Amino acid sequence: MTTFSRAAVAGVYMTPQGDLSDRTPESVYMECVKGALEDAGLTLADVDGLIGPAPEGVGIRGSLPGGAFADLIGHPLKFHASSSIGASAQSAGIGLAAMAIAQGVCEVVVIPTVAAGRARGYAGADRNAAVAAMAKLGSPYEYIWGTTRVADYAVVAQRHMHEFGTTPEQLAEVAVAERYGATLNPLSYMGHRGEITIDDVLSSRMIADPLHLLDCCVVNQGGGCVVMARTERVRSLGRHAPVTLLGWGEGHGYLDPNHLTDLTDLYGGRVAADTAFGLAGVSRDDIDVAGISDHFTINVIIELENAGFCKRGEGGSFVEGGALKIGGRLPTNTGGGFLSCSHAASCGLFTLIEVVHQLRHEAGPRQVENARLGYVHGVGGVSHVQYGAILARD
Amino acid sequence: MTDYPKLLPEITPLHEPFWEALRQHEFKLQKCAGCGRFRYIPTEICQFCHSLDAEWTAVSGRGEIYTFTIVRRAPTPAYQEETPYAIVHVTLPEGVRVISTLVDCPVEDVRIGMPVELVYDDVTPDWTLFRFRPV
Repeated sequence: MTTFSRAAVAGVYMTPQGDLSDRTPESVYMECVKGALEDAGLTLADVDGLIGPAPEGVGIRGSLPGGAFADLIGHPLKFHASSSIGASAQSAGIGLAAMAIAQGVCEVVVIPTVAAGRARGYAGADRNAAVAAMAKLGSPYEYIWGTTRVADYAVVAQRHMHEFGTTPEQLAEVAVAERYGATLNPLSYMGHRGEITIDDVLSSRMIADPLHLLDCCVVNQGGGCVVMARTERVRSLGRHAPVTLLGWGEGHGYLDPNHLTDLTDLYGGRVAADTAFGLAGVSRDDIDVAGISDHFTINVIIELENAGFCKRGEGGSFVEGGALKIGGRLPTNTGGGFLSCSHAASCGLFTLIEVVHQLRHEAGPRQVENARLGYVHGVGGVSHVQYGAILARD
Repeated sequence: MTDYPKLLPEITPLHEPFWEALRQHEFKLQKCAGCGRFRYIPTEICQFCHSLDAEWTAVSGRGEIYTFTIVRRAPTPAYQEETPYAIVHVTLPEGVRVISTLVDCPVEDVRIGMPVELVYDDVTPDWTLFRFRPV
């Protein structure tokens, strides 16, 4: 027990991941919030906290989302907060929500994320627009040289291969393991395309050397929501085993890649994981299932190193032989991850939802046997800022 | 207005001396007045000694490739026309790394450790970018 574990995940929900351009973001948002509350056995009347944006983020509704959300549900909220951990900002909301709930500031917090409708840029379903918009998220002005998000990580992969002998086959292992999970996940974007092999990854077209198309996350839309409440309340609702937050840590490491002494040591992740494991009082060996931000295959390898599951430079050999597959040494991103399930909106939320399914023992054919402890590692930017979370089946 | 079809830097006054020097075909970095270390990109404070003061100092622009990638899928059509091109991170003897592209070199020949030197590219009347080429 830690202070954090006074709060637990009460409900989760996600839409099928894919192309939601025919729907409005607002309608998908409310579907996800209501869906997660229903999963928990709660209603909108119970909600008194929100993490992140309100459904319609225009003007003052964008800058004061707590008030905007209160307008919609007809009663005031007691808590609103936003995290700044990029693609993991919403899933990082479990840390913020747990702290608020554990301190008695509020009771029930919803954490939604949505990409839907005819949005431009990276919230849209148009791959070209998404690639262009994301390129400009690069550090201060390197985008002028024609960098892309893929290129931002490709330079990291190239250096990792140079220093440690990491191979393209090892990178491909990550994509293969995750696609297998996606084939067992009917909500995933890529599962219907079937399993892939290491050769499939290596023969897919090169995007930015050494990263191939199948080393890269998908571009898609989708929505999801997580609800958190007091652990004892989740217990008494009796719908699911409560999944509590046992430990939490953040690492806001760097922005400018030139400021990292070593580009293969994204040390924000180490700071985050060490804090989380320290507070939880458990070791890496205790972890049964993991969810690790996987915008590209290299990310998982480096984050496993930074989070302390293996030594620096050994991430490549760690993932060999299907180690990340369901049934492997450390099943990771068992629902397909960003590579094969969803990279929509604040996509770290889908990573978190999958770990919750596993710890509730409700993952169906993807179930990791007797999973009791999970580790979630979320990144924002080019792994600039990160969090680590230890989740436990109550 | 300019017809340059690619992205240009969006800078704050802190960065102006860097780009003004490039316009003059000089490569200048901030040299910390507190500890003598160089800074890139321009910053308000030295991350080592926390001094707020620095002197813009011309440096050679020679260095070696620390890492690279070959971009085959570019961010916009204007960049796509130039694919494949090499993005390089270059370690300078002044102890900092800088990012740019590599020119005058077939992409299949790019290697980590390759010695390079800086060249100037006047892309518009107002903007000069720096790039690298093999020595």
